[in-house]
Amino acid sequence: MLEVTDLTVAYGPIEAVRSVSFTVQAGTVATLIGPNGAGKSSTLNALSGVAPQRCGRILLEGQDISRWSVHRRVAAGLVQVPEGRLVLAGMSVRENLELGAYRRPRTEVAADLERMEVRFPILRERRNAAAGTLSGGEQQMLAIARGLMARPKLLLLDEPSLGLAPLLVRTVFEIVTELRNSGLTILLVEQNARQALNVSSFGYVIENGKIVIEGPADKLRSDPAIIRTYLGQGV
Amino acid sequence: MESLIISQMAVSGALMGLVYALIAYGFQLTFSTSKSINFGQGELVMLSAFFSLTLLDWGVPYWLMVPGGLLFGVFLGLAVERAGVRLALEQKSEGWILLTIIIGLLGFSAAENIWGRDDRPFPTPISADALQFFGVNVTPLEISVAIGVFALMGLIELFKRKTLLGKAFEAVSADRDAAELMGISATRTVMLSYGLSGLVAAMAGILVSPITTVGPTMASALILKAFSVAVVAGLDSGFGVVVIGIFLGALESLTSFYLGSGWREAPGLILLILALAVRPNGVFGKATIRKV
Repeated sequence: MLEVTDLTVAYGPIEAVRSVSFTVQAGTVATLIGPNGAGKSSTLNALSGVAPQRCGRILLEGQDISRWSVHRRVAAGLVQVPEGRLVLAGMSVRENLELGAYRRPRTEVAADLERMEVRFPILRERRNAAAGTLSGGEQQMLAIARGLMARPKLLLLDEPSLGLAPLLVRTVFEIVTELRNSGLTILLVEQNARQALNVSSFGYVIENGKIVIEGPADKLRSDPAIIRTYLGQGV
Repeated sequence: MESLIISQMAVSGALMGLVYALIAYGFQLTFSTSKSINFGQGELVMLSAFFSLTLLDWGVPYWLMVPGGLLFGVFLGLAVERAGVRLALEQKSEGWILLTIIIGLLGFSAAENIWGRDDRPFPTPISADALQFFGVNVTPLEISVAIGVFALMGLIELFKRKTLLGKAFEAVSADRDAAELMGISATRTVMLSYGLSGLVAAMAGILVSPITTVGPTMASALILKAFSVAVVAGLDSGFGVVVIGIFLGALESLTSFYLGSGWREAPGLILLILALAVRPNGVFGKATIRKV
């Protein structure tokens, strides 16, 4: 589904991501884990086109999209749910969802809206409320639902559990599991390494802008180095 | 008697102020999507007015001329975006400031060459005979300005709130990256905003021309005051520009009555300086807080 080779992301002279390569198989969840500032979000942002890519190749279903504009990538099925959610605070929940489906034929949108409101009842309940008045967890649900409204082929989730209460963190990972079981391809960026590896089939550990360890998620879960650095004791 | 004169001055000034408000609204439209404005907006007002006058000269009926003139304004707005703004924004440079000024100067020279330097009257079927309301004289022409300004601003606001394209416009204004991530093209939205701001400029030209006459310099004073109104009101409140526009128009008219017409331009500039010193985000503006 996604094949990234030698991707370098730089903000002026500062290279946030240095020549990373990885793949995401169709129908699976892959995760990028690593400490703060390692380049996880920069990698995702370069995939969606928000961050400046210096060099490298990004193939989506075999097609090189690295020179495409952000909105064109969305139309092609690569959809990012950004870190910090970025819901449109002044607009209603409903309008946020509608705009998520901006590039899709209007005739299909009504049915998708209905599906989202069934899956996330809170979005139905708060349909006409300004998105900015939702709680952090509700906003995260909205951001994910808005991303799904675009009918992604590949969903990029950037720190979906960030800043949420433990119970909500669990809900978020339940949603990710559910989406995976429905056959959606997902690239997940998380600081919450244990949970991320639990829902993923493949993992990449990124440090200082480079991928240092990669492998099947169950292997990484039992890797002593990873346990020590990212998972802590008691595994 | 004195109070009647004051209200007369205030009312005709306020109606003129609505034209400032309309032009200021044009600044807001492009500023909201791209954080850029067309410094040659006054030339757009003037060129559209000349074009509309030419349509009338050719024998086009007044009510057919109006959409023609407005369309020409849209075309000019799009041209300014393509020629002066897009490249600068792509390079994240402030080059649009100089480029839009230069395009304005080009438009000014073009107008002098095509239509000459003389001011010309702008015929209109709307009567200029005064009607009396509570002793204050108002002409149907002045009322048509008010109707035109409110109708156009109302339509554009309705478009932004009720249509998908309009909501996309609002999304880009609120958060460019978030909008792009929803599949909205920010570039095309900026184009749209320049087209709309050209439309607004043309409307201002058509509304004000019968009152002021048409000439290459017709908009130079207008644009300064519209700019004051936009800054004083804040660059993100459509309601604000109407209030401040009316206020400034009335204030100007009273100032020139009491202090002499030489002082006419003073209130706009004083308000501008005051606003920049005391409330740089404008009276109705929101302070932008960027979370990091």
